Amino acid sequence: MSASQSAVRSRAEAVAVSRTFDWMILFTLFTVVLGGYHIHYMLTGGDWDFWSDWKDRRLWVTVAPIVSITFPAAVQACLWWRYRLPVGATICVVALLLGEWINRYMNFWGWTYFPLNMCFPSNLMPGAILLDTILLMGGSMTLTAVVGGLAWGLVFYPGNWPVIAPLHVPVEYNGMMFTLADLQGYHYVRTGTPEYIRMVEKGTLRTFGKDVAPVSAFFSGFVCIIIYFLWHFFGKWFAKTDFISDEDL
Amino acid sequence: MKLIKDKVAKLSFVALLVTMTAAIFYTPTASAHGEKSQAAFMRMRTIHWFDLNWSKEEVAINDTMSISGKFHVFSGWPETVDKPEVSFLNVGIPGPVFIRAGSWIGGQLVPRSVSLELGETYTFKVLLRARRPGEWHVHSMMNVEGGGPIIGPGKWVTITGTMGEFTNPLTTLTGLTIDLEHWALDSILFWHGIWYAIGVAWLVFWAKRPMFIPRHIAVSSGKAASLISATDKKVGMAFALGTVLLLGGSMGATNDKYPVTTPLQAGLMRGIKWIEMPAATIDVKVEDATYRVPGRAMQMTLTITNNGDSPIRLGEFNTASVRFLDADVLEDESGYPDDLLAEEGLTVSDNSPWAPGETRTVSVTASDAAWEVYRLADLIYDPDSRFAGLLFFFDEDGNRQMTMVDAPLIPSFI
Repeated sequence: MSASQSAVRSRAEAVAVSRTFDWMILFTLFTVVLGGYHIHYMLTGGDWDFWSDWKDRRLWVTVAPIVSITFPAAVQACLWWRYRLPVGATICVVALLLGEWINRYMNFWGWTYFPLNMCFPSNLMPGAILLDTILLMGGSMTLTAVVGGLAWGLVFYPGNWPVIAPLHVPVEYNGMMFTLADLQGYHYVRTGTPEYIRMVEKGTLRTFGKDVAPVSAFFSGFVCIIIYFLWHFFGKWFAKTDFISDEDL
Repeated sequence: MKLIKDKVAKLSFVALLVTMTAAIFYTPTASAHGEKSQAAFMRMRTIHWFDLNWSKEEVAINDTMSISGKFHVFSGWPETVDKPEVSFLNVGIPGPVFIRAGSWIGGQLVPRSVSLELGETYTFKVLLRARRPGEWHVHSMMNVEGGGPIIGPGKWVTITGTMGEFTNPLTTLTGLTIDLEHWALDSILFWHGIWYAIGVAWLVFWAKRPMFIPRHIAVSSGKAASLISATDKKVGMAFALGTVLLLGGSMGATNDKYPVTTPLQAGLMRGIKWIEMPAATIDVKVEDATYRVPGRAMQMTLTITNNGDSPIRLGEFNTASVRFLDADVLEDESGYPDDLLAEEGLTVSDNSPWAPGETRTVSVTASDAAWEVYRLADLIYDPDSRFAGLLFFFDEDGNRQMTMVDAPLIPSFI
């Protein structure tokens, strides 16, 4: 067989090779995104995602969506413009959560014995589904950025509330009131993470009283719109074929 | 000759394999906390821990022990370390092998960060409950914002039993009785599982059909619109609506199940009470201080004046948690860690009692291998080559008086 001849001899063979190629690419994309997105999110979201006593109604709600919409926007840009596949955000979050759960179970629990009910990851799936479905139905990156980006920020807290609410039940302990999450942070000693490092409940949104989470979520959603645009262009640039010379094609 | 060379080569290869295999079996436990690596001036000139007591050396799972004692916040706090205006009383242990059941400074519970005053002395206590079996080095520790962890002395404590026996029972203000060790884990896994399954279902819906090559060909040839069918959009709409409905439903159900929740508690605690120390009646002036590198000994020339009404003797020099004692004056009976205790490490040129009103200049030498073992000798490489510590004087009745010393240190290399 010469270099100019086809490697397949029939349509059936071509389909089989194409499907094999699909799975290879999907597996590679999944693992690369798992690694890259995981590192990115751990470096930027970090402790807010690690610990139950960092998951507050102001900063966690604001920071986590902003730093996590990055890879979904970029991968969406690549998969949509090249393949019309509206799965970029979901594949990122499925990969990220798998990596995070492996990390929390193997490292946080397996090595250092922090209970899993203290170090579970944030749930980003509702935002990812909405981001992909908005892209599918609208077919517009601008619409996805504005509506999907805002939704990504807005649904983050409701998507996590069923998980964190049991840990926000108050308890009296030695004459002071804590939430159970606070008490986890106090009980399970983190030598290198003293209490003052914890960035929670800081800010100036005091005029909103106890209903501060929706305000934080709206702010987060607005910033997510901007970050979505930015990372969408990163993804589009990264998906170009300019990196391969014409001779190789 | 070739035969010998071959044999040497073979034997060398076997030796290499044996060495590598042996190295695999040598897996010592890493159990230190880096206390020896912390800059000597930080340990000498920030928080001085003393009168420490570890209530037990062996404790069963679920049982408690405590570390208690005092710490003095050094008034000559180094310029290169942020002042302890935001500090957190911690313990140096390898992860949550104990849970911190309580911690107090000056009798006040301190679950959050506190503000400490320079020059004051505080009592503290940390109550620990055993969680994971093993032999653990348990330190007192103060984290200082902008300064890092300032670790105190550590002692080995053994925890017996099995971790499966550990429970952390609590009763909430809403009347729930729970075990915090496992509380809500089932709902965490349930909701993560549900959402993960939805995400995977969305991926499977698209992965069932040809994905990359045919779709790329279609997009490149201008037929992108044909790749998204009306059914795809209907399925997408169903996923979007389902997501919104599930969000609303789960929020409502959660609020029904937990009608009372509170925000995370945070904030600095001020007004921590220190010990009202009696007015000092002993005046100490450091004339000079040198550290003799080859001898692992620090020598100070001190002019000491006794302004009190009873004779006193110098019994102890305490710096960076290392205690140098004059055995004629003081014997430790607290079970202080051996490696931090130089029972005969303090030598005073004339340690006869200072009579009331007497002033005498003496040469005081603190010598022990701890200078080297605890890397305090590295002080001579610090940016601000000063030492500091606590001197303890005793009268005939055993009453104790504490005095600070703080002065430049000149190294001697010969």
